[in-house]
Amino acid sequence: MFQRVRALFRALASRRDFEAGMAEELRFHIEQYTDDLIQSGMPREEADRRARIEFGGVGRIQGDCREASGLYVFDELERELRYAARSLRKAPGFTVTALLTLAICLGANLTIFAVSDAILLRPLPFPDAGRLVTVFNTYPRAGVERDGASITNYYERRGRIPAFSSLSIYRFGTAIIGETGSAERERITQVSPEFFATVGASPEMGRTFTDAETTYQTDYVVVLTDEYWRQHFNADPGVIGRKIRVDTFPRTVIGVLPPGFRFLSSQSQLYFPLASRPEDRSPQQRHSGGNVIQMIARLKPGVTIDQAQSQIDAQNTTLEKDDGQAKMMADAGFRSLVVPLHADQVAAIRPTLVLLQAGVFTLLLIGTVNLVNLLLIRASTRSKELAVRQALGASRRFIVTEVVVETTLLTLMGGTLGLAVGAAGIRLLAALGASRLPFGAYITFDTRSAMFGLIAAIVLGFVLAAPIAWFNLRFHPANALQSETRGVTAGRAAQALRHSFIVAQIGLAIVLLAGAGLLGLSLKRAMALSPGFQSDHVITGQISLVGNKYRSPAAGLAFTERLVDELGHQPGVLSVGAANNIPFSGANGKSAATVEGHVLQPGEPPRGHYSFGVGGEYFRAMGLALRAGRFLTGADSHRKARVCVVDEDFARYYWPHSSALGHRLFQGATRGPDAEVFTVVGVIGSVKQADLTDDAAQGAVYYPYIYRPESNIFVAVRGGVQPESLGMALQRAARRIDPDLAVNDIRPMDDRIAASLVTRRSPALLGGIFSGIALLLIAIGTYGVLSYAVTQRRREIAVRMALGARPEQIRGQFLSLAVRLLAGGTIVGVAGAWLTGRAMQALLFQVPAHSPAILAGSAGIIAVVSLAACLLPAHQAARISPTQALAD
Amino acid sequence: MDKTADLLPGTLDMLILKAVSLKPLHGYGVLLRIRQISGDALEIPQGSLYPALYRLEHHGLIAAEWGQSENNRRAKYYTVTAAGRRRLREETAGWNRLVSAIAAALDTTSEEV
Repeated sequence: MFQRVRALFRALASRRDFEAGMAEELRFHIEQYTDDLIQSGMPREEADRRARIEFGGVGRIQGDCREASGLYVFDELERELRYAARSLRKAPGFTVTALLTLAICLGANLTIFAVSDAILLRPLPFPDAGRLVTVFNTYPRAGVERDGASITNYYERRGRIPAFSSLSIYRFGTAIIGETGSAERERITQVSPEFFATVGASPEMGRTFTDAETTYQTDYVVVLTDEYWRQHFNADPGVIGRKIRVDTFPRTVIGVLPPGFRFLSSQSQLYFPLASRPEDRSPQQRHSGGNVIQMIARLKPGVTIDQAQSQIDAQNTTLEKDDGQAKMMADAGFRSLVVPLHADQVAAIRPTLVLLQAGVFTLLLIGTVNLVNLLLIRASTRSKELAVRQALGASRRFIVTEVVVETTLLTLMGGTLGLAVGAAGIRLLAALGASRLPFGAYITFDTRSAMFGLIAAIVLGFVLAAPIAWFNLRFHPANALQSETRGVTAGRAAQALRHSFIVAQIGLAIVLLAGAGLLGLSLKRAMALSPGFQSDHVITGQISLVGNKYRSPAAGLAFTERLVDELGHQPGVLSVGAANNIPFSGANGKSAATVEGHVLQPGEPPRGHYSFGVGGEYFRAMGLALRAGRFLTGADSHRKARVCVVDEDFARYYWPHSSALGHRLFQGATRGPDAEVFTVVGVIGSVKQADLTDDAAQGAVYYPYIYRPESNIFVAVRGGVQPESLGMALQRAARRIDPDLAVNDIRPMDDRIAASLVTRRSPALLGGIFSGIALLLIAIGTYGVLSYAVTQRRREIAVRMALGARPEQIRGQFLSLAVRLLAGGTIVGVAGAWLTGRAMQALLFQVPAHSPAILAGSAGIIAVVSLAACLLPAHQAARISPTQALAD
Repeated sequence: MDKTADLLPGTLDMLILKAVSLKPLHGYGVLLRIRQISGDALEIPQGSLYPALYRLEHHGLIAAEWGQSENNRRAKYYTVTAAGRRRLREETAGWNRLVSAIAAALDTTSEEV
């Protein structure tokens, strides 16, 4: 076998040599024979003639030799290709339609595939990435699904879980890098010493962190990414030991990471040690993760996730024995879960991607059915030619090859155009915010996607060829010749096949339209929801209070007060407030509050509440609604008497039958000293914190800033003008107060809300695009099949008209055919849409899976489009002139 | 033509293998050699010789190389490969079995039935 292939390749590679050698060999034979004949006494001319006759036809023998060498297939292929190209050129309308259909359908599939591939399929870019897991705490019964890991968790688990070869924690953050006045804000990641070993990266230069660098004061070291080193240090080979200014303190560069290193979706260019104090590592802090610190670990080879999980569970059980909070945590449903890192990162986006992939594949199916129908029509119109060729001895194999070559040529050309469509589609997705998806930055259009596209095109070529080849073979030559001459309706089976394809196509399109409609309606419902505050005309920004001067909460408070004051006097500003977090910021950790007089019932889980420290006129700036009492003001941070404001959800949960005003509570999970009690002075309307569709009434508490100070603050400015123009004012005011600080992430509040809808909007938009294409395909398909039916039955119609049929009757006949096909398709489609709706349920918001309005709407649109596409052919049928048609 | 016999189907390959197994030959030489070793009894149709040679080469049973002919012309010489020699042995054995079986069958007289 191997030898045969090698000989074939040799013959192909040196095809010219092969031909020349063969000619020379045969010539040699004839000349030798001639010489021998002359020697036996024959005259030269006679010998010459005799030798040629006895040898036989040189051309035929050469053909036989080529075939014997396995070259025949390639010659045939070349001939077929040329023939296919010629016949496609002869039918430009068909060819252009087919190529566009293929380009769009394959391109759209390629786009979505590139996304799924980057996000779901490709392994993480780390060695043995399948062994990386994440471990996080969950308190489901307290409404906290995910709380990351605490520093205590890390020190307790490190080296004590045999299933892990390495375990580490990390925290994303930002830092101000550079000198006063030219400081830039950079994304950074703080990591535990073994972090790089856990993910499997070793520094290109220098070293990574040590245990000695995990306390404050010893942690002034930094590891750079290759990119940062090239951009900011001009790839200086002596960078190790140099210092950079971070949050006003110098840090020494100790290492540079290999090129291309990137941790998950993070854009961090600098890595710092994750420093902590001894008290941060104490058992009391075990449950203080707050979803800020995340834990990753590498499984030892051969160890399963289940084994790791049971070891973590066993350790938690042991630790709980002397934990005062254990009872409460157990009530909250506390567990630490071990989950594969990749799956965890993409868990939220997976269903959406799977749905989009299904949608775009449906589009491809519709396109394929369309093409099969167009090809079937073409095959019918060429059946006479085919019959002649079959009669002249074309083999069955030849007829099949011919079809396969033609369809594959078509799909390959369409697929090549589809590569361009795919590349454009990826640009479109980037514009829609695909890079914000987990691993979205890895979405590329590369050789891998291109190869996938072309292979898919070839497979599609064979799929398209199957029904056409079946039709061609089934169609007996004699029948074809006869039926064409007699003008009888030919190929009942072929007609039935075409019609059932139309039915399938209409059905699929209804499914696609209904799916897109459900997504669109969900988006509309979600957008119609009020976030609970007036988000228009508000601009927000984030400031990190870094450096020695902000060590005390009072200094932070002083800064926010100055900022609020400065901004408040700017023209166009209505109100200014600051808070340690705002809704839709992306951070939405919850913490406990202890309400005086509220006794936890047996089995009642403790609740996590959104907790804010607010300054200035935060409530007015955000446009929150006051329900009872009063808002907090800047002055509340300076009063001895501690006060707070709660939202309706909080008030309803704890005091369902009375007013919340005057009740008292403590921050944290336990009752504090009397001096630290907060009195509720106001109740405000509840606010959506992370997602407009979030309907867990978790409750929120607002404290004066001084009692919940954080170094990271948000500023909200409400203006009478377009909020964008307030951004510069915000930036300038902050710089004026402290040139070491920078405001980042300046965005209108409406933008943040819109961004939170991206996972609903993009699928709905793409669904809409797919539906539009599907409608176009339906129109082309129905028009094609109907107008062919008219052409085919021209004579029959002419005869009937000559016998007295009225044009309306003819028109009616074709329209009734269209209606029958439509009815069939609608039944199939509605059934399909019903099933699809059920499968999509989890992705829908306040939309029933079987919305009758959506089903009716989709079916209605399809009906209008397909009937409109039938009008022209039906009209043409009615206008057939009997004398002309019968004379043809 | 009285003295020559028609080739049985499938025997041409065997004869070519036999001819080139004795000594490397060019195409015309194969023709002459078969005629010679069959005592002028077998006449190969010239047209069918070359497709057979190309097929055997394609299957790796013979190998071809360009060389000089007796009268100093460039000619393509065929030699038998190891696989070809093996095939020739098998086919020879098979042929002999067939011939003796047919001969035995044809020698049968009515008393032996």
